Amino acid sequence: MSSMFIKDDDFSAFVTTMIEAGPVYGPVAKRSRFIFERLESPEELRLDYDVTILPPKKLFFPPAQDLIRFDADEFKSAIDPEEKVLLGVHFYDVKGLDQTDLLYSERNFDSSYMANRQTTTIVASNIQNVSDRAFFASVGAGVPAKGHDAFLTSITGGYVFEPLTERGEALLKHGAFVAATDAQVAEAEKVNAEALTKCKEKHEHSAEDIAAKVAAAFDNEDLWSELAEDCFSCGSCNTVCPTCYCFDVQDTWNVDAVSGQRTRYWDACLTADFAQVSLGEGATENFRGSRGERFRHRFMRKSVYLNDKLGQPACVGCGRCSAACTADIADPVRVIDRIMAS
Amino acid sequence: MGKPKVAFFDFACCEGCQIEMTNYGAEPFLELLNHVEIVEFREAMTEKTTEPIDIAFIEGSFTRECDRARLEEIRERAAIVIAYGQCATTGGINALKNHQDDYKEYVYGTDSDMPHLDSQKAYGVDAAIKVDYYAYGCPVNKYEVLQIVLHLLHGKEPVIPNYPVCVECKRRETVCRFLEGDHCMGMVARAGCTAPCPAAGIPCEACRGFVDDPNIPALEKVLVEQAGFTPQRAHEKGRMFTANALEATS
Repeated sequence: MSSMFIKDDDFSAFVTTMIEAGPVYGPVAKRSRFIFERLESPEELRLDYDVTILPPKKLFFPPAQDLIRFDADEFKSAIDPEEKVLLGVHFYDVKGLDQTDLLYSERNFDSSYMANRQTTTIVASNIQNVSDRAFFASVGAGVPAKGHDAFLTSITGGYVFEPLTERGEALLKHGAFVAATDAQVAEAEKVNAEALTKCKEKHEHSAEDIAAKVAAAFDNEDLWSELAEDCFSCGSCNTVCPTCYCFDVQDTWNVDAVSGQRTRYWDACLTADFAQVSLGEGATENFRGSRGERFRHRFMRKSVYLNDKLGQPACVGCGRCSAACTADIADPVRVIDRIMAS
Repeated sequence: MGKPKVAFFDFACCEGCQIEMTNYGAEPFLELLNHVEIVEFREAMTEKTTEPIDIAFIEGSFTRECDRARLEEIRERAAIVIAYGQCATTGGINALKNHQDDYKEYVYGTDSDMPHLDSQKAYGVDAAIKVDYYAYGCPVNKYEVLQIVLHLLHGKEPVIPNYPVCVECKRRETVCRFLEGDHCMGMVARAGCTAPCPAAGIPCEACRGFVDDPNIPALEKVLVEQAGFTPQRAHEKGRMFTANALEATS
């Protein structure tokens, strides 16, 4: 499929036409930060965003997702897939979605995630501003982003739109697109290559070296205790992570005491009770009871355990965890540097 | 079996948490009455009971030794005791006096010697009697209270969060107070409120108390290094709703 071009002057009409055709989600400002939200008008769209508070995973699996609604002995699915366009996803988040697509479909096919994933057309976009904590250029660098339907790049005078699937190509009808020139395609490639040079943080070692060293540090309890000393067990590093996928399921009743809903919530392995399990007869045990053990588990998951399955670390370098950690101890670059030096 | 009998009792408190029960709006509150029989609730009815109770909600802190007998009497005839509101769960705001000895003079002035104003340190009611469940908050989250009752009606264990408010802020994409140059205690505060205060731009004051294992040294460090507090202010910051927990950790 060949790349297309749309002028800056025509872009807003393109977004307006898409919004008229169906729900469109994209990055919008929220106070001093950005979030993915349903667009009401093209003016809200902020393709110059650096990073959103939560990754786009939330559109397929919201932080609290009703799975079923029940009434006495009857129940029905609460999942209601919505045909929509998700516009303006940075490539690191595309990689995150590619990972959760796999993790939610291998073995147990998670229809509650996949229902909305499969009805969404994803348009990735170039990174115009790089967040202070991002390190996406130095993690999984050899692994291309995939799973999106088109890629939009801001260049001189307009945007290059590269359709990658039929769904992506179908969006062309909403705007005044013309074939992109070779020079425009070359400029788009240059813009995207340059974004990779703008991260302030980077891993100094290969994913293989990191995996080997982190795994070897498993029994170094002093190291993990030191790294986790200021940990609040608040789980923010998990909650904002595009590759985290654990959840907790709870029932709530409506006030009629007969009907209600079964809801799943994003869970976080850094929180104190995550690994608290029942031993029966009211007894419980927490198999990761200390901050150090929980902290270690996150780094094992992100840089060791899933690498073979994913073909890359379970981290895309978005830097959300680094920024979300109030104690500022979650930054994968700094933590892994410390482990490599141990 | 008839409807479970529910009663409300109060000790040292403002009774605001009981008032919260009347804030559901008419429909949910009246619908709840299809499932429970309220036998004592002085905010909304004049009747009292000396009969056995299925669920006793106890509001207020235990701060006078003379209240012990009444608490024990309630415990004896209640199948389930729920500490209701922050005063009853941790001592709440009343525990602010626990590190002081001149509070009677500056609160009550020339009346301070009146005998009914005499009190000791303020604790949650579990300092006097066994408590089965805790409904945290100043005031309680009435929707959580409703779920506690509905879970008990179904013979299920109520689910009370032991994770911090940060979880709820992140889930709703609230911009962190610290990222806007402010302070907050959400990192150590027990969630379950759905974090409305930071969402409105107001720091969390931990009105539901701390999580079970709060990292207080890290809290003080962050308040000093990131919010610019003096070490003393950082140390005292956590006291408003959690004086007893703070004392236990320091």
